[in-house]
Amino acid sequence: MMVSDARQPVLAQSVRERLDSLERRLETETGHFLGYPCTAEFDYSPLYRFLRFPINNVGDPFVPSNYHINTHDFEREVLAEFMRLTAAPAGQAWGYVTNGGTEGNMYGIFLGRELYPDGVVYYSEETHYSVSKILRALHVRSIMIKSRPDGRIDLEDLAATIGIHRDVPPIIVANIGTTMKGAIDDLTGIRTILRELAIPRHYIHADAALHGMILPFVNDPQPWNFDAGIDSIAISGHKFIGSPMPCGVVVARKGNVDRIARHIEYVGTLDTTLSGSRNALSPLFLWYALHAVGLDTFRLRAERCLETADYAIERLEPLGVHPWRHRNSPIVVFDRPDDPSLTSRWQLAVNGPITHLITMPHVTRERIDALAEDLAASLAVDVEEARS
Amino acid sequence: MMKQLTVVCEDRPNLIAELIEAVASSGANLETLDSQSIAGTVVAILTVDRYDVALQALARAGLPAVSEEAILVNLEDRPGALAAIAHRFREAGIPLRSVRILRRAEGLGLVALSTPRTAEALALVSDVLIA
Repeated sequence: MMVSDARQPVLAQSVRERLDSLERRLETETGHFLGYPCTAEFDYSPLYRFLRFPINNVGDPFVPSNYHINTHDFEREVLAEFMRLTAAPAGQAWGYVTNGGTEGNMYGIFLGRELYPDGVVYYSEETHYSVSKILRALHVRSIMIKSRPDGRIDLEDLAATIGIHRDVPPIIVANIGTTMKGAIDDLTGIRTILRELAIPRHYIHADAALHGMILPFVNDPQPWNFDAGIDSIAISGHKFIGSPMPCGVVVARKGNVDRIARHIEYVGTLDTTLSGSRNALSPLFLWYALHAVGLDTFRLRAERCLETADYAIERLEPLGVHPWRHRNSPIVVFDRPDDPSLTSRWQLAVNGPITHLITMPHVTRERIDALAEDLAASLAVDVEEARS
Repeated sequence: MMKQLTVVCEDRPNLIAELIEAVASSGANLETLDSQSIAGTVVAILTVDRYDVALQALARAGLPAVSEEAILVNLEDRPGALAAIAHRFREAGIPLRSVRILRRAEGLGLVALSTPRTAEALALVSDVLIA
């Protein structure tokens, strides 16, 4: 690469071609993006001008830092919105914008572990694989609980297992929408178990990566937020809202967070976050989305996603692949196709005998039709005949 | 020094051949291989001379392996079965570091247990121990 000055490098042809090739590949792949919970529907071009600053949100967004090139003020506004959406107790919640759901889950489990160092983490077998990694990284004792066939945690198994260790505080990771089936763990049932076993010392972290931006906008949400007794929640920003970079939000009860604060002198800030240097663009992108798109539009998008999910079930049903979904989830589960090229082409995640598609905002009925036709061809089913 | 790896995955045609090929391609020597099929799940226990490269090669080949520190048990797939195992550890005063369900099929569940007191734990679960 030849460089004329710091801002406008003159690129060698091979470099330009490489970048052009990447752009073409990303455009093509985005057109067949059905199996993963990330929307491709966003436009952040008005924010491109901020890419020229060395911005960094190091430290606690609520505490002034000596590193002033940050977006802490925007981050706090984003958090205030998420606190409202998750029914966090007013003035008693804290949070920060994370690098994604995994960091949010790690923070929640970390808080639980700090509060109850002798605690045991309980989580279901349908829990995202990153939780196993987190448990290993934090060296926390853990017991995996069976899931029911529909993907929700098996409450009978949970009660029996917690009952063995009644004197040990349970730290429960509840799925608010499992990755594969979109199942929402029964928080009411979990709290009933804790009450009936007379276990007052407990912690509940909610992994609401995708569904945390859908359930605030539906009329009949399953219990999922602080009103349902959770202590912390992780929500992804790049999934339903959409972002070119992974990001997320974690919100927790402030009283718990204050216990783990550590003072770091050299940046003059409280080290309450897991990361030191933190992305300052992602809070800005989320803030922009919340203002430019707006909550009313997100509500409409959530409704449209669920309608598209119903349409997908309607289209796949005649093909004999047994499609179904949970209430308030855009994840449509169906039988895994035998043809691996089909799952690869449509980027469908597979797990044993099942696969799923996720009707994110960018997924149109036309794309569902195209998938149904592909699937019908691989199954040698006549689409029109199947529909009629 | 030989080390043990255990691969647990759904049974399928040519699985053992895939497994041998994966280890061979890694450059590790496969010393022993013992496999059994439990309710549609293959549990293959290998000893290899180069643990890390074999582990990586198996993972790349889609053959998830658990390390020799894990204790594999075979339990009935019914509510409370896991709790009963946890109860044994509790009664014996042996701490459980982690309990992880690897697979469930045909009424059985393969579970990996981890504890800092492996030798005592092996005796405690000898009736449900795999291999």
